[in-house]
Amino acid sequence: MSGPTKVDDTTAAPAPARKRRSGTIPARWRWIALALLLAAAVYAPFQLVPFHVFQLTMVLVYAVALLGLNLLVGHAGQISLGHGAFFAIGAYTSAVLVDRLDVPYLLTLPLAAAVAFLVGFGLGVPAMRLRGLYLALVTLAIAIFLVPLLKRFEELTGGSMGLTLPKPVPPAWSGLAEDQWLYFLALGVAVLAFLVAASLLRSRVGRALHAVRDNEIAAEVMGVRLSSYKTLAFAWSAMFAGVAGCVYTWVIGFVSPDSFTVNLSITLLAGLVVGGLGSLSGPVLGGLFVMFVPSISQDINDAAPGVIFGLLIILVMYVAPQGLAGLAGRLIKKIPRKE
Amino acid sequence: MSELVVDDLVAGYGDARVLHGVRFTVKQGEVCAILGPNGAGKTTLLRALSGMVRTRGTVTLGGTELSGRSPDTIARLGVAHVPEGRGTFMPLTVEDNLRLGAFVRRGRAEVDSDLDRIYTYFPVLKTRLKQAAGSLSGGEQQMLAIGRALMLRPRLLLLDEPSLGLAPLVTRELFRIVQAINAEEQTTVVVVEQNAHLALGIAQQAHVLETGRIVLSGTAEEIRADEQVAQSYLGYRV
Ligand SMILES: Nc1ncnc2c1ncn2[C@@H]1O[C@H](COP(=O)(O)OP(=O)(O)OP(=O)(O)O)[C@@H](O)[C@H]1O
Ligand SMILES: [Mg+2]
Repeated sequence: MSGPTKVDDTTAAPAPARKRRSGTIPARWRWIALALLLAAAVYAPFQLVPFHVFQLTMVLVYAVALLGLNLLVGHAGQISLGHGAFFAIGAYTSAVLVDRLDVPYLLTLPLAAAVAFLVGFGLGVPAMRLRGLYLALVTLAIAIFLVPLLKRFEELTGGSMGLTLPKPVPPAWSGLAEDQWLYFLALGVAVLAFLVAASLLRSRVGRALHAVRDNEIAAEVMGVRLSSYKTLAFAWSAMFAGVAGCVYTWVIGFVSPDSFTVNLSITLLAGLVVGGLGSLSGPVLGGLFVMFVPSISQDINDAAPGVIFGLLIILVMYVAPQGLAGLAGRLIKKIPRKE
Repeated sequence: MSELVVDDLVAGYGDARVLHGVRFTVKQGEVCAILGPNGAGKTTLLRALSGMVRTRGTVTLGGTELSGRSPDTIARLGVAHVPEGRGTFMPLTVEDNLRLGAFVRRGRAEVDSDLDRIYTYFPVLKTRLKQAAGSLSGGEQQMLAIGRALMLRPRLLLLDEPSLGLAPLVTRELFRIVQAINAEEQTTVVVVEQNAHLALGIAQQAHVLETGRIVLSGTAEEIRADEQVAQSYLGYRV
């Protein structure tokens, strides 16, 4: 028996031109950039007026929701036009628990996460057997059904009137104003969510999700059970949306069915695609987009903000087909570097 | 005692039947070649063995029933399938592709040492570890696909047209490696191949599949000597 035969590099294949290691930023720089960003995020609320602090808080809330949607769309390659529904489920879980059961608001976070996860799992089992346009339609239907459902169970949800809640009071030891306290709560949740998502993606599970996204047949023969992983991805992404919804309730202090229409779902998906699918910075950029672009459109043309919003999406996708995160990556690569 | 036993296997897509009662066996450690014209059902046969299509009939590997089980269970039982068209995870790195091959296995240290074993068969992969797999050449991708399948430590390796789209020189090299793997690891191999000449060169047994039925079986020499096969698949008369 001969030993393993070696392939001679020269005969093996027409070797492609060796590229410089396909352009990621060195890890050290990434950590430095991240640390600077975090420092800026901690510093910001002491420099800004409360309204701007509130706006940044909402950017963080949307970023958490987009982080979840990114797991599903960017990493597992599935689509959801109904993620506003899970956002709403998290928001209402928190609101109902505080309003009806006097649960301390911080405790509602894990509960909202759990409820959104379970609902996501339950809906994911049948939904994830579909693909493409069929999946898009079914998830859209989830978002459409939610509003009348919330209005229907009036004793619990307050019906069309919604529920108004007391705002969280900053603890005395913190010495923070209300808007700053809410901001730091949102920042803490966002950082935690990023760490969870990043470690999930680095694990064996993350690799399986990527495999499902890139080649279902190959993933399946490798032993990845497609339906389980798709369903889990759906449930996790619902959980992140639910967490974001819970923080939304803390920040806004009011929930009503009309805050969570189909429009929210579509804006979230648009924000994710514009921010950049499959990257970790995409959700933050997408959060900025979801927060600011609708109001900017309103300023540009009061009569038809939807038109301006749509045009801006088209513009970004034309200039940066990989989303804003992809555009940033391209610009960084243009900076000359010593070899 | 045969390692792989396929008996009266019927398979298809929806209402369309593609395989109509396929029957053959492969001995442990042997290479079995499946020849046949386009559309005969060769790919479908491999898919049936790895649980990707609905089947009737029986398939056993080392005495364990495979038929009716899900693809991930069959992978866990030691069947590695290199699909038609290679199934590369394009955006992932070469290393991630290889590690995905060991998805059903536990034990990181063992997997790491198996990676090194793969590089002895395919040194070129080692020089490309952090590169996106989609940027590899066709031949390199085929090597990656086979290397990835070996990461499962398979009892049975299914290869679907490894030569597809490759230059003759690369194809010959690839078959030499498959033969070496078969000899080294004692892995049983079923290979579907258009290049009958190469396939018969490494196989002990061969079967000709036509419209979902095996129409000819024998040792590689017998099949090579068959006049019909020679005309249809080898491009010369005996
Ligand atoms: N996914 C599918 N859905 C429906 N029919 C299919 C599917 N895949 C293959 N078929 C049909 O099954 C038959 C056998 O196809 P198969 O791919 O098994 O042939 P093959 O022998 O591998 O051919 P080739 O040499 O061209 O690869 C064909 O008639 C084909 O149309
Ligand atoms: Mg085929």
